[in-house]
Amino acid sequence: MFLQHVADGLLSGAVIGLGAIGLSFTMKILRFANFSHSELLTWGAYFGLIFFTIAASLGNVFDAPIGPLSFGWGMFVALIFSAVATSALALLLHKLVFEKLNRVAGHMTMVFASFGVALLLRHMVLLIFGPNPIYYSNELQFAVLLPGNVRVLPDQVFLLGLTIIVVFGLHLFMTRSRTGIAMRGVSENPDLSRVAGVNVSSIINWVWIIGASLASVAGVLYGLTVQLRPELGFGLILPLFAAAILGGAGSLYGAVIGGLIVGLSENLSVMIIPTTYKPAVPFLLILAILYFRPEGLFGERK
Amino acid sequence: MFRKSMISALSVAAITLGGVGSASASDCTVKLGAILPVSGPMGQVGERISATGQFAVDQFNEAGGVKGCDVKYVLRDTQGQSTIGVDAAKSLVDIEGVQALIGAVSSGVSLPVLTSVSVPSKITQVSCCSSSESFTALAKEGKTDGYWFRTYSTNRSQAAMGALLTANSGFKKTAVIYVNTDFGVGLAKRYAADIVKLGGSISSMVAYNESQQSYRAEVTTALQGDPDSLFLVAFPVDGSTLTREWLALGGTGNLIVNNSLRSSDYFEAVGSKHLQKLQGYDSAQPRIPSVANFNEMFEERFDGPPNGPGLHSVYDAVTVVLLAMEASDEITGENIRDNIRIVTAADGEEVYPGPEGIKRAKELLAAGKSIRYVGATGGLQFDQNGDVQAPKMTWKLVGDENVETGYFTTEEIADLIKKLDD
Repeated sequence: MFLQHVADGLLSGAVIGLGAIGLSFTMKILRFANFSHSELLTWGAYFGLIFFTIAASLGNVFDAPIGPLSFGWGMFVALIFSAVATSALALLLHKLVFEKLNRVAGHMTMVFASFGVALLLRHMVLLIFGPNPIYYSNELQFAVLLPGNVRVLPDQVFLLGLTIIVVFGLHLFMTRSRTGIAMRGVSENPDLSRVAGVNVSSIINWVWIIGASLASVAGVLYGLTVQLRPELGFGLILPLFAAAILGGAGSLYGAVIGGLIVGLSENLSVMIIPTTYKPAVPFLLILAILYFRPEGLFGERK
Repeated sequence: MFRKSMISALSVAAITLGGVGSASASDCTVKLGAILPVSGPMGQVGERISATGQFAVDQFNEAGGVKGCDVKYVLRDTQGQSTIGVDAAKSLVDIEGVQALIGAVSSGVSLPVLTSVSVPSKITQVSCCSSSESFTALAKEGKTDGYWFRTYSTNRSQAAMGALLTANSGFKKTAVIYVNTDFGVGLAKRYAADIVKLGGSISSMVAYNESQQSYRAEVTTALQGDPDSLFLVAFPVDGSTLTREWLALGGTGNLIVNNSLRSSDYFEAVGSKHLQKLQGYDSAQPRIPSVANFNEMFEERFDGPPNGPGLHSVYDAVTVVLLAMEASDEITGENIRDNIRIVTAADGEEVYPGPEGIKRAKELLAAGKSIRYVGATGGLQFDQNGDVQAPKMTWKLVGDENVETGYFTTEEIADLIKKLDD
């Protein structure tokens, strides 16, 4: 059973890691804790539902399941369009709320504003899609047995694979592209970057786009392997923050590894403590990391 | 024709005699509070229960209302949460001035409402659905002051039914996954004790918290020890997530589920074709005319049969309270509490649900007679703790159809419990 818990932990950790990257970047570059970030996962998942339904209605390869997976190529269309739509939503929020507030208000105001935005976003989903759980496919997918008596769903293998590709792609972007390098510069020192000729406000837009796109991918993958609910993101808010804080604000690999640690410790904890205490595990992780290494595993000491 | 003229003659008589108008002519209202979970993890079940409560009020109004006044059904959402439920009950009592509360559904909500609102404010509380044994214990200690009633039988019989179904199916090693509430914990513990006496065994007991996103860790834990069956105590939304994950991870299709999962929402979310080996139990209604009569009226109003938890019992909860109000000189929580005994008196004259039955009940009450309301759940007999006994039924799915597989009378249930408790 130990290996099964490890597998479950890695799979749920991968989603948390993807979601935490955007949160970690906004925390470092925009310098506030964005509580509405988890709602971008929800919106990403529901945008995905809309585009997936449209794509699947085209039939053929878009609808017919690929191999053992529960979905057709329509899911890739949905992933891309959902990332675009979620980015647009994030930029809209930035223009309407956070950019305006950032000029006049302090960090705490930003944090509380993000709470308000989160409530608004969540209840809009509730209003539009209703409170009941929705599935991309109502067909039940059965787990395949791997060596070591571990059972995983084919969709979850896809999830893990896609996560690795996305993180590697992002790594290349951050280290090779001009925008990526400029982004790291702004996160270190916005004023110095501005002097060096970096267009800071366009970099900030990029931060939102990357954060929102990854959130939407995480949301769709979560919806794929679990379900879509209006509280999808809200239920993940604590694990997301735990992962971002654990990894250290602004660290790409920190967020991913933080996510994996959160997922693993949540799932492994049930071997020792009753399952009812499982939701407390991220809390304990946050407390522990803030006590022993407040800058996070991969953060730099100030 | 005769009936119609009778009614108009009666109402004319009523107006000239007491100056009390019929329902349509009344300008006074009597409020009845309801605290039910119309959203949240039990929203799907709660919404239907709430609509049935409204239906009972409408029928009472059709029969002329309470003391000639229209009854207003004031509903507040508990979202299935105790804090919200207590706030809702407080506002109904303090601001709306209701003297009786219908609800809540979960025991975990009903209990704090009872102890922190109903008892201190002397408000009668009648639940359609709370089945925890904590209420019986509380009543025995004298802490409810008699303000607590329920039209739904307790956990005791549910656990016994679950264990009986498991044992009769020949399952030897059962995993138990249960909701971490007063209701779930109480039921699961009783079940674990009962199943051992019937020759089965428990492979694992796993509690889950409501409204979590995923239950993989819980399911993986419950799968330990290769159980040949699963006893699932859950509500439809989380229940679907759990069942999907259970089946997907290779869990057995031999499911025994509690009555809350007798819901088409649950069957659809999981997929009926995966639930063909599922079995369940539910409260049943005795095979008597009053029940058939209610079922007919319900079908006419809602275009479908009253299948689902709490529908019969909420109808009776509302009707009994309104009859008790009718029997009261002054509508206070205390009078309602006392008169519930008068309108369900064992030696009273029998009256039945529906506008006609209620009219007759009101005439009898006006003549100072005690009545025995035999309603949608059959003849209600509250014991000194406010509890009732009810027959049970067992069911399964055949295709998409929810089919009854057995029926157990109140006496048979009592015998079974006696055997298990020895």
